Formats: sequence, structure tokens, C-alpha cells
Amino acid sequence: MHEFLIQTSWWIPTYGLIGAVLTLPWSMGIIRRTGPRPAAYFNLLMTLLSLAHSVWVWQMTLGQPHQLLEFQWFRAVDLDLSFSLEISPVSVGAAVLITGLSLLAQLYALGYMEIDWGLARFFGLMGFFEGAMTGIVLSDSLFLSYALLEMLTLSTYLLVGFWYVQPLVVTAARDAFLTKRVGDLILLMGVVAVSTFTGSLNFSDLTQWAWAETTVLDPNVATLLGLALIAGPVGKCAQFPLHLWLDEAMEGPNPASILRNSVVVACGAYVLIKLQPVLSLSPVVLNVLLILGTMTAIGAALVAIAQIDIKRALSHSTNSYLGLVFIAVGMGQTELALILLFTHAITKALIFLSVGGVMNVTYTQDLTEMGGLASRMPFTTGAYIIGAMGVLAMPPLGGFWAMLQWIDGLWVVPLWLDIVVLLFNGLTAFSLMRVFGLVFMGEVKPKTRRAPEVGWAQAVPMVALVILTLLMPLMLYRWGLLPGWSAVNWRVAISLMLSTLVGAGLGAWIYANSGWEKPIRFPWKPVQVLLAEDFGILRIYQLSVVLVVSLLSKLAAWIDRYIVDGMVNLVGLFTLVSGEGLKYSGFGKSQLYVMTILLAMALIGVVLSFPFLSHLMSIAS
Amino acid sequence: MLSALIWIPLLGAVLVTLLPSAWGASYPRFLSLGLIGATVIVSILLGIQFDPSLSDFQFTEQLPWIEPLGLNYQLGVDGLAFPLLVMNAVLTLIALWSSDRFTVRPRLYYTLMLLLNASVSGAFLAQNVLLFFIFYEIELIPLYLLIAIWGGPRRGYAATKFLIYTAVSGVLILIAFLGLAWLTGSTTFDYAVLKQQTLPLTVQVALLGALLVGFGIKIPLVPFHTWLPDAHVEASTPISVLLAGVLLKLGTYGLFRFGLGMFPDAWVLLSPWLASWAVVSVLYGSFTAIAQKDMKKMVAYSSIGHMGFILLAGAAASPLSMLGAVMQMVSHGLISGLLFLLVGGVYAKTGSRDIDLLRGLLNPERGLPVLGSLMVLGAMASAGIPGMVGFMAEFLVFRGSFPVFPVQTLLCMIGTGLTAVYLLLLVNKVFFGRLSESVMNLPRVRWAERLPAISLALLVVTFGIQPIWLSRWTEVSTTTLVSHFPTIAQVTAAQTAANSDRSEERMP
Repeated sequence: MHEFLIQTSWWIPTYGLIGAVLTLPWSMGIIRRTGPRPAAYFNLLMTLLSLAHSVWVWQMTLGQPHQLLEFQWFRAVDLDLSFSLEISPVSVGAAVLITGLSLLAQLYALGYMEIDWGLARFFGLMGFFEGAMTGIVLSDSLFLSYALLEMLTLSTYLLVGFWYVQPLVVTAARDAFLTKRVGDLILLMGVVAVSTFTGSLNFSDLTQWAWAETTVLDPNVATLLGLALIAGPVGKCAQFPLHLWLDEAMEGPNPASILRNSVVVACGAYVLIKLQPVLSLSPVVLNVLLILGTMTAIGAALVAIAQIDIKRALSHSTNSYLGLVFIAVGMGQTELALILLFTHAITKALIFLSVGGVMNVTYTQDLTEMGGLASRMPFTTGAYIIGAMGVLAMPPLGGFWAMLQWIDGLWVVPLWLDIVVLLFNGLTAFSLMRVFGLVFMGEVKPKTRRAPEVGWAQAVPMVALVILTLLMPLMLYRWGLLPGWSAVNWRVAISLMLSTLVGAGLGAWIYANSGWEKPIRFPWKPVQVLLAEDFGILRIYQLSVVLVVSLLSKLAAWIDRYIVDGMVNLVGLFTLVSGEGLKYSGFGKSQLYVMTILLAMALIGVVLSFPFLSHLMSIAS
Repeated sequence: MLSALIWIPLLGAVLVTLLPSAWGASYPRFLSLGLIGATVIVSILLGIQFDPSLSDFQFTEQLPWIEPLGLNYQLGVDGLAFPLLVMNAVLTLIALWSSDRFTVRPRLYYTLMLLLNASVSGAFLAQNVLLFFIFYEIELIPLYLLIAIWGGPRRGYAATKFLIYTAVSGVLILIAFLGLAWLTGSTTFDYAVLKQQTLPLTVQVALLGALLVGFGIKIPLVPFHTWLPDAHVEASTPISVLLAGVLLKLGTYGLFRFGLGMFPDAWVLLSPWLASWAVVSVLYGSFTAIAQKDMKKMVAYSSIGHMGFILLAGAAASPLSMLGAVMQMVSHGLISGLLFLLVGGVYAKTGSRDIDLLRGLLNPERGLPVLGSLMVLGAMASAGIPGMVGFMAEFLVFRGSFPVFPVQTLLCMIGTGLTAVYLLLLVNKVFFGRLSESVMNLPRVRWAERLPAISLALLVVTFGIQPIWLSRWTEVSTTTLVSHFPTIAQVTAAQTAANSDRSEERMP
């Protein structure tokens, strides 16, 4: 039985896909009588099965060595594309996390999107989403991971574009697809190259290849290869310069945003972690990871403070947190990166659950229109506080331990990275406190006057994640990821706590203070605008990539029309033939085309008889 | 067995012409559907008996015809032609099904469709270069008429342009074939015999050049491509499906069979130029597609880009890239067929193909939701999203070409990114957003009208999930095709080795 469950663990991603296919009769409008609910129930059931299966397999893998499952998929000439699945506590644990969060998000969607006509389509896409993500964490093949990352790109496009009638959604879906696609395409270049160099695309083989003494790669090639390989995760994790899409993607339905901000971004980072040995072939690539991570960690944390859309503010803080993960991978600390991803996934999902409840009852995402919800939605408020404390360095919750390991780990950290993490933590504390102050504290606004507490379908997931967040230190302890009390460097711990307190305190002083008039106006208007517009990244894109592509396309079309085709028409034949006199307006003028055909036939005849003539000539001579 | 694929539609064409005109339009329609259905069944029977592990031509047939000319009726099929042959049958069936039920002059229309199918099958099967040429030219006539009679407002211009371009292409190909026979002193046009030629390299290059331009018009490669967008825009939907799905493949098929197959040495010599030509074609086609406002024109330019990948793979001429090239032919046939069907569907219901005019067609009650969903699928397939056949074909092309031409391959990969740009623009503008006021109360789409697109979509997904079902027919044939000449990687390696030797010699 046990062996059977492990051997069939490829089913874990498949359940979600089956669920997605099962929704088709409802989403295509073949079954209308029942309404879209049955499709949702199918998907919930499938996700539950997937969760049960992965939990079971995970129980069995604890303390066991890695196991690889190979599936022959495609083999031609010298190319062997086998799908290899890695069954290890980490990979299956990640699958448990994804299916668990997916189950909660779907249950939440049942309440959140109760009246949406496209419910069946939504659940189908969620199933697809979940299947692709569990596939990525189980995959031990770069090819499979690449394919699934593209699937994620596609399903992100469709989920962001779910409410496709709204203009903002249309551009958001487009930008999400195209920016991620740029990353994916460069990753594909890397995949093609690495497959040429190594002959195998399995992560374990790639690691061996990268570590082998015999591997001699030109440093420039290694750098280019590494840069190509990180481009995919940069796009997926919304790191600078491909970070544009995540905040726009917040136009999509919130249940999908929960997954996007917790586990989808983590999937990109997971692939990055798997690729770390190959990346470490080039020090330049590792430095690039550090630089991109730092820029995003600090930049996005600043940008988050200036947002007035509640979801965008939080999504920028997701970018910023993923920046830390990038730095960790750049430093070679993959285990730390995994802890960061784990704590972030659960706590950020909790924050989005809580915020979703707020948006659902106020019908707005605008922070300036909210206020005073703490008294009306005490439970949601509590969930937000616990989630925010879990993300930040706030003992005894998870985020604190992750960041403590950062500064006080067994590895030597350059001082500037310590400062980065303290700065990041302080800024994030400030921005989370800002959201808290604007939404839950202060005066009651017109839109928040009648705000009932959320229903059971939204409450159950919140309770579950509150419990998980509170239990996180215990889980980390059980897995041996916590330092003993004696090993804790108190100076570091206190400086972390201080950064949280200073950030949150400042935030509370400004935003939870009834003495300040809201919305708050900063004395430096240009800075505020710069941050609110995400350092003008949209403008930069429009003036660079978009401009170049559109100019080139216009140029090509112009050349095509006036030079290439113009030359053809200049020959005159076509303009003559296509002139007024030769309009094939009806069937009456059929003699004209008959004539043309005759001409053509004559031509063919001449051409055909040519060899015969030549044959005769050769006989004659 | 192979003759059936030519003669069933050919005799069927005669039969359809002889139908009394008093009978309704549905008789020619169902007769030709039945006949093409029969050729599909014959293709399936062929598939059952076809042995993919053999590299030789199978089911060969030989009848003497005009002996003094060296023209014999020689047929045969290998792994290169077989997938294209089946696709011809299937796409013709789909094109017939999606033809207008109340078309004018139904008997002539269906006669020409059958004639087209027969001649294309003949070209794929011919083992005699002159026989190939005859079929290649015959195919031109029905297609010309199909565009010229059942086309859009500028059909005269488009059809004539098509006719003249293709006639020039035919002449160039014929010159190459005749020149080859003449210079080798061969008395026969048998492919197997001509293949053994040992001409001087310069002559080979000249002959190959004629073939390159000849087939380059058909594929089409930039700058010989301008007939294609016009032909596509003016042709009716089923004709566009056939044109993109099958007829362009005649160009690439001919290029591989006769260019690469008969002049391997010249091919190796020219291959760096061919790879660069492919890059120009891919990027030019893709960039031009971005600027198009007519959906059909956009898909037509995307064809130019996607056919360029096949030239890249051919230039690299590694076993893997050749396999990828054949898969790309099939994948482009299925995907562009699907896209043309969908664009045609939108045009039939809304009366417009203008990207700036149409909006919000995904609307579930008053729009075209199923066509829209299929369009998303088709766009993703064309953009090379995994899980659909386009991805695997392109991956094999890139993976096979990268060791030989790394820079050109990377540049071509940008083309797939651009594909995503223009098709996404199309989907976003036409199907997303609010349904525009100018397009209201669209007629309902019946399931029978959706059937062709749905079946193509199913094929696209099936072969995407199981590409081995597609590659198994071809692998051995394409490997043998390029096995007898040194891989270009080796040649360049040898050259660099020779160069470095020389420089070392100079050193002391």
C-alpha cells in the first residue's frame, strides 16, 4: 500500500487537472440547469484527494532518503526527455502546502465568489493552477519544470483576465502574460543550451554536471547560461525588472490572489533553488541574484507604502519578500530560502484572506475609503494582526526565526546584507501597519458603515491559517530548524525586534492616529508620486521595449507594403491585371479567367515539352 | 494503395461534375465529403501497415508512362511525406465540412476541392521529379480558381498574384530539375537515380539556388512572400485552411526532398546563409504581424514567421532538427488551420475581421464564447505554450539547431516571443473587454459549425501531450535523410581545427 502510494504520487498534480477538465460542461454552458456549483464541488473534492494523497506520501517520506520516479515521455534521436519526479520530504511537503492552501482558497472562493456567473470557469482554472504548481515542486526535470512554469503563465493570464470585461483587467492580463513570457522565453533559451551541454535535463544530473571536476565551461558562456536560467524565476517571482505584472494582477479575483501571492511566486523561487548548483558556476550570476534581490527587497517595500489599492500594497510587499529569497539563493543558502518561502506562504495567504473579507463587504479596494473596521469585523482584524506578525520578525512567530537565521546563521554574512534585512523588516512593518491603520483603525467611512463579519466559507480558511501561523514555531522546532535558546544571539534578536517595533510604531503613529488627517499627504510630493507609480516602471517599459517592438513592427509593415509589395506591383503586371477591366465581379466574365488559365496551361505545356525537345536535340546531335 | 489517394478524389471530381445540376447543393457536398472520408480511411489503413522503422520508401508503385521523357508513374511514401499526406486528407475533410452549405456553383467548387486534394497527394507521393513537378503545377489551377471565384472583393488581384508567383516558382523548379538531368546525362527523372549525382559543387550550388527560390516562393520566405497575405485575405475560410495547412508544406517538403536530398554538399555550403535567411524570415514575419489590423492578415504573416523555423531546422540538418522540422510542418498545419477556421467563424458571424472594431466577443450570452475560448487555445498553441503540439515542434527545432547555429537559433526564438505578442493583442482586443455596440445580436453558432475547430483543437492538444505519436512516423526517415552527409557542426569544427593548425604552423 505504502509503496503503491509513492509510486502513484504522479497523481498528486493530476487530480487538479482532472478537476479542471470536469468543470468544462458547466463552463462551456452545456449544463445550465444545475448552476455552476457542482463544478466547484468536483474541484474541492479533487483538491481534497490530492491533499490526502500528498499528506500520506509525506508521512512516509519523513526520514527516508530521496526517491526518484522516472517516466519515459519522449525519446527521439539523441534526445531523451524523461519526466523525473523527486519524492523527498521537502518536495512532497511543498506539495502538501500547495494543495492545502489551494483547498482553503477554493473553499474561500465558494463564499467570496458566490454570485459570480463564471464560478465553474474559475474553479477549472484553479484546478489547473494547482496541478501545475504541485507538478513544479515534485518535478526533478528542468524540462518538466519549464513546461509547468509556462502552464502557470497561461493560467495566471486566464485568472487575471477572469473578469475580462473590465479595461484594467484586460491590460493587467496582457502585461502578466507578456512579462512572464519574456522570462520564460529566456529560460527556454537556457534550457535548450543546458540540454545541449549536458545531454540531460534532470536536476540531479545537472547538479552532478555542475559539481563535476571535468566540467569546464567558458566563463562567459556560464554567465550567459546562468542569466538565462534565472530569467524565468525573475519573471515568476516578480523581481526587478520583470516585476510589473504582480501588482497589476491584483485586478483578478482575490481567491486566486491568495495563491498567487503565497505559493505561485514560491514556485518560481523553488525552481531557482533547484538550479542553484548550475548558477554557482558563475560568480557573476550569483552577484546578479544578490543585486536584483536587494533592489526588489528595498524598492518594492518602499513602493508598497505609497499604494492606495489595498491589494497592490500587499502584492508589492510580496515582491519585496521574494527579494530576500533571491538574496538567500545568491548566497547559496537554499535551506534558508525554503524556510523563508514556507513562512511567507502561510502568513501572506492569511493576510490576503483577511483583506479579502474586507473587500468583500466594502466593495472597494481603495485604502482611503476604508476605516474603523476593527469594531465591525473583530475576527478578520485578528487574523490580519496574526498574519502580519507572522511575516515580520516578531517572536515567537515564523518570520522572526527565518530572519534570525539570516543574520545569525552558521554562515558569514556581509554587513550590508544584515542592514538590508533590517531595513526590509522595518519598511514592511511600516507598510503593514499602514494598511492596518487605514483599514481597521480610525473613523468609520461611508463604505465601511455596514460591514458584517465574513461567512463560514471564508472564516474556516482563516481559522485554519491562524492556527498554522501560531503553530509555525512548533513545526520549525519539530523539523530541527530552530536554534537552541542558548545559541540565540540576543543582540541580533533584539535588533530585529527593534526594527519591527520602530517600523510598526512609526506606522501606528502616522496611520492609527486620529490626529492626522487622512489620506496622508507627504511633504515631498514627487517622491510620493514616484513610489506610487512604482518608480515609473510602466513608463520605462513603454519608452524602451514596447517602443522598440512597435516601431520595428511598423517599420516592417511599411517596408512590406511599400517596398517589397510595391516593387512587385511596380512590375505593372498586377496593377494591369487587377485593373477595373478585369474585376471578377460575377460569373459572366468567366472567359477572362478561362483565358488566364489557358495562358497558364500553355506555359506549363511549353515547359513540359521542353525536356522532350532537349531529348530530341540530344538524339539529333 | 497509394494510387487510391490520388485517384479516389480525381475520379470523384469527375463524378461531382457529372451530377445533374437540378439536384441541390448538398449532393456534391456529401459526395465529396464521403470521398475524402474514404481517403482518410485509406490513410489510416496505410498508417496501420506503414513500418516507421524502415528508412526506404514504402508501398512503392511503378508504371512506365512516357519513357522517352524519363517520366514514369512512380509513387512511394516515407516518414517525411506520410504525416503530410495524412494531414492533407484530414484538413481537406475539415475544409469541406466548413465550406459554405449554400455556396454558389457547388459542383465546380467541390470538383476543384477534390482536384486540389488529389494533386497535393500526388506531389507528396511522387518518386519521379517530373511527376512531382506535374502535380505541383496542377495544384495551382484549382487553387487559383478557388480564390478567383469564391474569394473576397479583391480576389482577382490576389488570385492573379498567386498564379504568377507560383508559376515563376514552378519554372525555377523545372529549370533545376531539367538542368540536373541534363548535366548528369540522366535519361530518367527517377528521384533515386538523380540523387546519386556527383556534379561539381558550383553547378550544384546554382541548381540548389534555383530550387531555393522556387520553393522559397511557395513556403513563403521573405522577400518572396507578398502573395500569401493577399491570397489569404481574399480566399474563403476553407481555402485559407488548405493553403496554410497543406499547400505551404509543399514548399518545405520540396525543399527537403529535392534540395537537401539531392544536393547535400551544396546544402552544407549554403547552410549558414540559409539559417540567417530563416532568421530574417521569422523576425520579419513576426514584426509585420504585430502591425496588422486584419485578423486574417495577422495569421497569414504569422505563417511566414513560423515557416521560417522549418528553414532554420533544415539549415542545421541534424537528425533532431529535421525531425523537429517535420513536426513543425504538421503543427503549423494544424494550428494555422485552427486559427483560420476561428477567424473565419468570427468573420461569418460579425462581418468584420478588424481588430480595432471588434471587442468583447467572449460575452457568454451575446458573443462567441466557444470560438473565443478556442481562439485562446489556438493563440497559446501558436505561441508555443507547452501541452500543445507547437511547443514540442519548436523545442525540437531549437534543440536540434542550437549546436549548429547557436546565434541564429536564439534569434529565431525571439520570434516565438513575438508570436505571443501579436496573438495576445488579437485575443485581448477582439475577445476581451465589453461587447461593442456595433456588433450586437450575433447569430448563434451551431455545434456543427464548431466541430471542425474543436476537432483540430483536440488534435493540437493530443499531439502536444503525446508528441511521440507524431514523431514515431518520421524519426528514421529524417535521420537517414541527413545521415549521409557530414553534420554541419563537424564541418565547422573541422574548419576551425584546420584554421588553428595553420595558425600553429605559422607560429614558429
